[in-house]
Amino acid sequence: MEIRQIAPFLFEIPRSHRADMRVPARFYADEALAAAARADRSLEQLINTATLPGVVGHVLAMPDMHQGYGFPIGGVVATEPPEGVISPGGVGYDINCGVRLLAGRMTAREVSDHLEALASALFSDCPSGVGRGGDLRLSGAELDRVMGEGARWAVRRGLGSAEDLEHTEEGGCLEGADPGEVSDRARSRGRDQMGTLGAGNHFIEVDRVERIEDEALARRFGLFPDQIVVQIHCGSRGLGHQVCTDAVNRLQQAARAYGYRLPDRELVCAPVESPEGRAYLAAMKAAANYAFANRQVLAHRIRGSFERVLGPAGIPFQLFQLYDIAHNIAKMETHEIEGRRRTLCVHRKGATRAFGPGAPELPAAFRDLGQPVLVPGSMGTSSWVLVGTAEAMRQTFGSSCHGAGRMLSRHQAKRNVQGAGLRRALEENGIRVRAGSLAGLAEEAPAAYKDVDRVVDIVHGAGIARRVARLVPLAVIKG
Amino acid sequence: MSPPGRSRPPAFEEVDHTADRALVVRGRSLEELFRNAACGMNRLLGFRPEPRGERQTRRIDLEAIDPESLLVSWLSELAYFAETESLGFERFEFERFSPTALSAVGFGRKAAEMEKAVKAVTYHNLAIRREGGQYSATIVFDV
Repeated sequence: MEIRQIAPFLFEIPRSHRADMRVPARFYADEALAAAARADRSLEQLINTATLPGVVGHVLAMPDMHQGYGFPIGGVVATEPPEGVISPGGVGYDINCGVRLLAGRMTAREVSDHLEALASALFSDCPSGVGRGGDLRLSGAELDRVMGEGARWAVRRGLGSAEDLEHTEEGGCLEGADPGEVSDRARSRGRDQMGTLGAGNHFIEVDRVERIEDEALARRFGLFPDQIVVQIHCGSRGLGHQVCTDAVNRLQQAARAYGYRLPDRELVCAPVESPEGRAYLAAMKAAANYAFANRQVLAHRIRGSFERVLGPAGIPFQLFQLYDIAHNIAKMETHEIEGRRRTLCVHRKGATRAFGPGAPELPAAFRDLGQPVLVPGSMGTSSWVLVGTAEAMRQTFGSSCHGAGRMLSRHQAKRNVQGAGLRRALEENGIRVRAGSLAGLAEEAPAAYKDVDRVVDIVHGAGIARRVARLVPLAVIKG
Repeated sequence: MSPPGRSRPPAFEEVDHTADRALVVRGRSLEELFRNAACGMNRLLGFRPEPRGERQTRRIDLEAIDPESLLVSWLSELAYFAETESLGFERFEFERFSPTALSAVGFGRKAAEMEKAVKAVTYHNLAIRREGGQYSATIVFDV
């Protein structure tokens, strides 16, 4: 495979590599991560996305890239109507999986005696694990409102504030969602899962701000050393999974009808502006709104846990929301290509929006700075708050990495790591662990992931996001 | 029947996939492949039935554009019952089976435990192959 380095941390596979490529494929890496990318099928999957009809510029993979199904995880692909397509596989099954970061006014030192109680309270207040529904069973009409209004639905019920919405990508609601495009199957999967975490790699983590890298930005973000912050990582649960399943299935036929020759059936797609494309986009937005609402309800529950545990001790328990971002989504956005502003359908699958200063989509508080970019690391390691840059707008359709990126399969991780031993090791490092399943814990062992600090070094070095603060975990809650 | 002196390959086995879980599934007929795929997914789910659980039946009718789509729909249907009803199936009776349509009754029980959730069954590089009288497919699951 011909791979050439075109800038520090940036590699390109030229269009000439394969006859069906419409644009070059680029990926961010250092030598070691480039070698890791060659070791699995992520580059082949990236090249496959360069064959999609209407793809523009270049397809991209972030340094946390790894093999997925269809698109690689860490992939960013932009297409332009009218030829441009939307591909449900380019969003993934967990539609609007994302991260929300809440930050407190209290320090780790102040809460250290209460961390055990806090971890237990969070585990009991935030339902998690396989088959765990929540106590919010939604009627059909209420579910429609969730899908139409997103996090606004939760705030209207008193489960959050207008500031939370202001500090959420898209204000916590994608306009144009159509619950009528969501199947009965998807509805029944979503009905009792509102306000639940699920299983797999989803988590709630209580962190401490270990290091500030950019003092001025950190101050503007409201971050300070030793501060307590909380990350929520989850998505649209079974409702989103079913929306994607339905669409991938339906588009198998549509892709044939449009005469597309695709290298992988998971890449099925339809023109964004076709009836099939519009129907998927409207259903995807409904699922994305469900995810925004889900993280909003979880944030409310977390705030309740903090109040119950810290309030009686006289410790300030309030948590404000720094930001909430999606990392599995497709959105219509305007970007400049070859000197011209063009409306594109930007797929981010395991990649985060990282808009730089001046983007009109950003809330007033961040518009002159760029948006907060939240990068959770693997369990028990560090996580990062970064800021989006003008360079990201030029290079990556305003995108950056979304996490550490898997290195070992879940199967391998479970073979190599015992859940009980891992829990012991984490606890010996002062990290409280509450997990529904020890086997699930083992699958998410830090050894199964790349080093998130290295991933962040690359995006920082390439200029597509800049370091603001490093977080380290104090308590992990998992399904 | 497997040839004498040579053991038959397993009905299903897990193979490594970086992001998710993948199974190689085999069968001497398409119908057997579908049964074995269901068993394999039960293993992935870590399905353990309630020992004295009441036996339950569900009817499954599916149509698809080709055998691969039918396989994805089949497993998606079973994953749906696992998630929404905590129901796993131990036996199936096929009333109708063709490469693009099936009607089946699944006999199952509520789970005492489901260790994992299957978010979705993917089409990633999915192709049902027939070689030497044996069908096989590699199925990638999003978990």
